[in-house]
Amino acid sequence: MVHLSSFLLKKYHGGHVVIRLALGGATNRPFYRIVAAYNKRARDSKYIEQLGSYDPLPNIHNEKLVAFNYERIKYWIACGAHTTKPVAKLLGLAGFFPLHPMTITEAERRQKAASVEEVKADSQEQVEEALSMDQNL
Amino acid sequence: MLRALSRSPAPVVSLLSPRAAVLVETVRGRKSRTDPKAKSKLGRIKTPPPVDPGEMVVLKQRYTEYSLILRALRLEFKEQMLRKKYEEEVGSVAEERAKREEEEHRSLMALNDAENLRMREIREQRMQQEAEAAELKKRDADILRQQELENYIKEKERHILLLQEEAKDFITPENLDQRIEEALDNPKNYNFAIDKEGRVVKRTAFQR
Repeated sequence: MVHLSSFLLKKYHGGHVVIRLALGGATNRPFYRIVAAYNKRARDSKYIEQLGSYDPLPNIHNEKLVAFNYERIKYWIACGAHTTKPVAKLLGLAGFFPLHPMTITEAERRQKAASVEEVKADSQEQVEEALSMDQNL
Repeated sequence: MLRALSRSPAPVVSLLSPRAAVLVETVRGRKSRTDPKAKSKLGRIKTPPPVDPGEMVVLKQRYTEYSLILRALRLEFKEQMLRKKYEEEVGSVAEERAKREEEEHRSLMALNDAENLRMREIREQRMQQEAEAAELKKRDADILRQQELENYIKEKERHILLLQEEAKDFITPENLDQRIEEALDNPKNYNFAIDKEGRVVKRTAFQR
């Protein structure tokens, strides 16, 4: 049997392994595979190993399904693989990594925006009430 | 205005007959270095997105914490993996595996020996039976040969006796005259027909 080299038959200079999302699916229906691949490879081309999947569209029960193979992810991180931002965020939400700072920041921003909207809506209602009372009077 | 870009997906048109000003479809950065700015963008001042300094401070803290934790995780995973590998190759796991394999080997060898013994016995029995059968056959063949020889000798003796009997009727130089006289005295008539059933017909067509 031919001994396949560990670089998947291609010699890379200074490349590294990344854990990232590879896009698949159809038009207007994306589907991501969480994949360990070499940095220099195209996004959807040959990868080293598939470590999970992520479906960005919510299903009937309004859930977005994510799958992880923690054992293999541990192995690749131990071998020195980098993770991309979306993968890091997903892992943080899953509990395997700590929560990503941007997740927290985005959540705070949304909360603030929602509270500002509420305050504005309340003040608008108050103004309208005052106007109507004046008109009645 | 537009240089023919090597990354354009559309087929390259010759410089002598440009069909339209735009040749490429959707390739990033379709303007070259020397192309002038568009009229609608002349007064545009590009500003980076606004940054909240308080939020930035908090964010920087969070990032340092995060990277610290991640680095620690990475080192821990590495250590775990190295330990597992070590155990697998050198430590307890390897020993257990070696023991198991040795036991398996021994049991298999025992099985093999038992099988070989059994087959040997069967083979010896078979060889014995075959030897006996061969001997019987040889004996039979010998008897047959003997009988054939005897038959042959008997046959030959019979022939000799017959010949001896016939020798009495032979014509010898002494009998010659007497036999000639006899033959001339008794003429034999062979003028008859005979068919397959043995019926003799003495009267034929050409009788005078």
